[in-house]
Amino acid sequence: MKRILLSFAAAALLALPLPAQAASLKIGFINSITGKEAQIGENLTNGAALAIEDLRAKGVQVDFVKEDDGGDPKNALAAYEKLVTRDGVIGVVGPYTSGSANVVASRADQYQVPLLIPAAAKEEITRNGYRNVFRLNAPANVYSRVLLSAVASYKPRTIAYVYAATDFGVSTVKTAQANALSMGLKEVANEKYQQGQPDYRATLAKVKAANPDLVFLVSYDADAILLMRQAKEIGLAPKAFLGAGAGYTTAQFAEQKEISNLVISATQWTDDVNWPGAADFAKRYKARYSKEPSYHAACAYEAVRIMVDTASKNRTVAKLRAGLKAGSWNGIMGPVKFADYGGFTNQNNHPMLVQQLQNGKPETVYPAQFSKTKLVYPFKR
Amino acid sequence: MLFIQSLISGILTGGVYALAGIGMSLVFGVMNISNFAHGDLMMLGMYLAYYAFTLLHIDPYLSLVMIIPVSFLFGFLLEKVFISRVIDHPHQNQILLTIGLGLIMSNTALLAFTSDPKILTTSYSSSAINTAGGLSISIPLLLSFLITILITTILYLFLLKSSTGMALRATSQNREAAQLMGINVAKMSAIAFGIGTALAATAGALIAPTYYIHPLAGHSFLLKSFTICVLGGLGSVVGAGVGGLIIGVVESMASTYISTDWKDVIVFVLFLAVLLLRPQGLFGKNGGQ
Amino acid sequence: MKQLIIVALLAALAAAIPSLLGENPYIIGLLISVLMMAALSSAWNIIGGFAGQYSFGHAAYFGAGAYTTMILISSWNVNPLAGMVAGIAIAAVIALITGSIVFGLRGHYFALASIAVAEIIRLSVLNFEFTGGAQGILLANVTLWGLDLNSKDPFYYGMLLLLVVTLAVTIWLRKSKTGYYLQAIREDQDAASSLGINLARYKNRSLLLSAALTSVAGSLYSVYIRFIDTSAVLDLRLSIEIILTAIIGGVGTLWGPVLGAILLVPLAEMLRSNVIGDSLVKLGIVSETSALGVFLSENLAHAHVLVYGIITVLCILYMPKGILGLFRRIK
Repeated sequence: MKRILLSFAAAALLALPLPAQAASLKIGFINSITGKEAQIGENLTNGAALAIEDLRAKGVQVDFVKEDDGGDPKNALAAYEKLVTRDGVIGVVGPYTSGSANVVASRADQYQVPLLIPAAAKEEITRNGYRNVFRLNAPANVYSRVLLSAVASYKPRTIAYVYAATDFGVSTVKTAQANALSMGLKEVANEKYQQGQPDYRATLAKVKAANPDLVFLVSYDADAILLMRQAKEIGLAPKAFLGAGAGYTTAQFAEQKEISNLVISATQWTDDVNWPGAADFAKRYKARYSKEPSYHAACAYEAVRIMVDTASKNRTVAKLRAGLKAGSWNGIMGPVKFADYGGFTNQNNHPMLVQQLQNGKPETVYPAQFSKTKLVYPFKR
Repeated sequence: MLFIQSLISGILTGGVYALAGIGMSLVFGVMNISNFAHGDLMMLGMYLAYYAFTLLHIDPYLSLVMIIPVSFLFGFLLEKVFISRVIDHPHQNQILLTIGLGLIMSNTALLAFTSDPKILTTSYSSSAINTAGGLSISIPLLLSFLITILITTILYLFLLKSSTGMALRATSQNREAAQLMGINVAKMSAIAFGIGTALAATAGALIAPTYYIHPLAGHSFLLKSFTICVLGGLGSVVGAGVGGLIIGVVESMASTYISTDWKDVIVFVLFLAVLLLRPQGLFGKNGGQ
Repeated sequence: MKQLIIVALLAALAAAIPSLLGENPYIIGLLISVLMMAALSSAWNIIGGFAGQYSFGHAAYFGAGAYTTMILISSWNVNPLAGMVAGIAIAAVIALITGSIVFGLRGHYFALASIAVAEIIRLSVLNFEFTGGAQGILLANVTLWGLDLNSKDPFYYGMLLLLVVTLAVTIWLRKSKTGYYLQAIREDQDAASSLGINLARYKNRSLLLSAALTSVAGSLYSVYIRFIDTSAVLDLRLSIEIILTAIIGGVGTLWGPVLGAILLVPLAEMLRSNVIGDSLVKLGIVSETSALGVFLSENLAHAHVLVYGIITVLCILYMPKGILGLFRRIK
């Protein structure tokens, strides 16, 4: 009986409209705080927190409402709806994962609240002409294109794919296959794996037997470490390991020096690029959180900064949308402009970078205009 | 070449699966209970090994000396406090109880340890013996395999020769008759569950240097353990051992010759095939019960 | 008959809620989740509580309805209702196949086999291209006879109707010959068989009914959210949540599963959306930036599953007949 009453009370509590805030600026944030991508999500949380701190220090009053989607698209949708209908936000930053971002983006025009995607790769997100969806980071196609371009001069001939059975994994590999085709690379292995396996040895041995020049990997967090460890055990040594962002760019991966050395990965940002404030951001992040920021932290920082800054000058959803469309910024992610090009709508044409872990440190190695260190090729242990 | 490599990897990984499977099989035999918290018990072993390594700097394999008694005690108490109350209840209630306990364990771990996967890197975590023929034998897996053989042998001798072991086997064969013979079957259940827990935790600790440690990490082993038990025959320790090796090899071969993303389906299909064609498994005695 | 009248009355009351609430998509959304879980648990109850066959893989039917509907709509622009019917057909096929595999098994084996079947389906769907694989299926728009499917109201009524139908089916089943045989099977399979009851026929009938109703829920869900992937509609966790809802409410009773859903779904949402944490902060009891505040905001989402676990354990140990059973005991 008590339980029923408690539950009704709880439901009533939920139904009560929250006390109206005095016209303060409300922005929502959806992130993977829990779930399989939690470790990367932490970078986004921290990056966003630093941005809010800086904005508040500049005198911007903002009510930043955070929601967790656990990496699950249906939760992301519920979170978005809650932010928009109950919390009354005028803009939302996030979600992080490709799956979640894609689903939320498909509803943005229905609710008419601008959505700024910080780091999700799936191309489709900004290829549907949604007026209310903006993306800061470069889409999946660029991950694979820049990675393959970085090693193109060495004339590799064969490529193998090892990737997680997730939206991000599958969509990124599809773009890689298209790019590889145009480069004349022959596909010698295609291994899609379910996340959470303890043993990839058989898969890796199979890839080794196919003797690829390039091994193209897409994994989140822990799988990246497992795969590279077992690759070392098995003795898989292609001319290059190409990691499409995510798990291959985390600090934890870099720390595993024995297995991560010389792994090449595509990234949206590194701290030694000549973008205003990039190096300072990295220093500050490291001092505050005792770990190196991944590119996701920079993406979140810049996305939140752009969203809140624009919203503080454009207080309605319509004006905010127009403001985002018309504006241009130059911060730690370099020049940002949301444009329509090549089938994309409101997409920032962000140049991606290629980094290689050398002695435990990520060094930017490509493109030439941003790099200070030379790429080491071929891979050796 | 690839075949032998695949076989070796499969057998070595299968060793860890076997240990987990044996623990579950013992519980099936003595208590006739499906323990859906088995994966979470493995997870406990993983975390114990992790913290022993990072806080006390004890090698995971050496920390087994501590992990085995601690987890045995945990399992023993768990049985006494919770499981013993549903011994005579319908199967589904027992299953649901263990599911509930498992949920409590994994979610408490999530609150305590967060969902950051922890990586246990020992100096030999990615080392392998590379033979002349180009084969690679994973050192951590080889060590786990040897330890598994050791533990299984000890367990086997214990069950065969010691009086408690014989009492356990008697209870497993026929609970009522054992009770009539004066065996304290309630205590046997607690001991069996304790041993089952210790074996699960050990399997977790053994795989920790080559896997990652996460509150939900045990779940990938739960259904596999059931498959192994059914394959080997519910209640048969030897059967579970063999079953573990078979599943390890099947997975490895399926990955190599069919495809990585279908290997789990193949294991499940094998599971159903065993249930339909030979429900008592390879070494089991009870048919379909 | 009396029970049917009660169902009708409550349904009428429930039907009035959207108009009373007005424009409140969040609460309507929550109520849709409650109705859906109530319908799913009640449908499961037919085979699990009533016939005593605990299927641990019911997500397979939910997923069958969802995927069939979505594939037909996205690839061939089929009318959603036709998609729903097709979903029922697929679910029925799965039910028949599953039944033939698992109904001959006892105890543990039955539960494990039902999981294996559901997992095979899930992994297969994850691996095929035409089901969207790991990317799932996303629909930009669905239309049905001019109904505004962007609004939540049609789905509220849809789920409510499904629940009413499921309860009506349950009431009918109890009073019918099939129902009496199912009870006999539940109490003692061997005795029932020795009395000449065709176990397979009746178990299959109840599984078919259960599967069909479950698949309709899947079809409704898929058109409502317009996005599905295997973790949303074929996950083992969903199968378990359905069973736990029925158990905690009161398995084998008419209203148990509904009660379970009413209690557990809002509780889960409150924990997930950190309403408790937020309220504590707003009331000034906990500071947002304090260690406790941060802990609550980051971790309370997990607490909902933890609470499920605790309630389950308490339920099995102290009230195996669920909350409804507790009431009856008090009476």
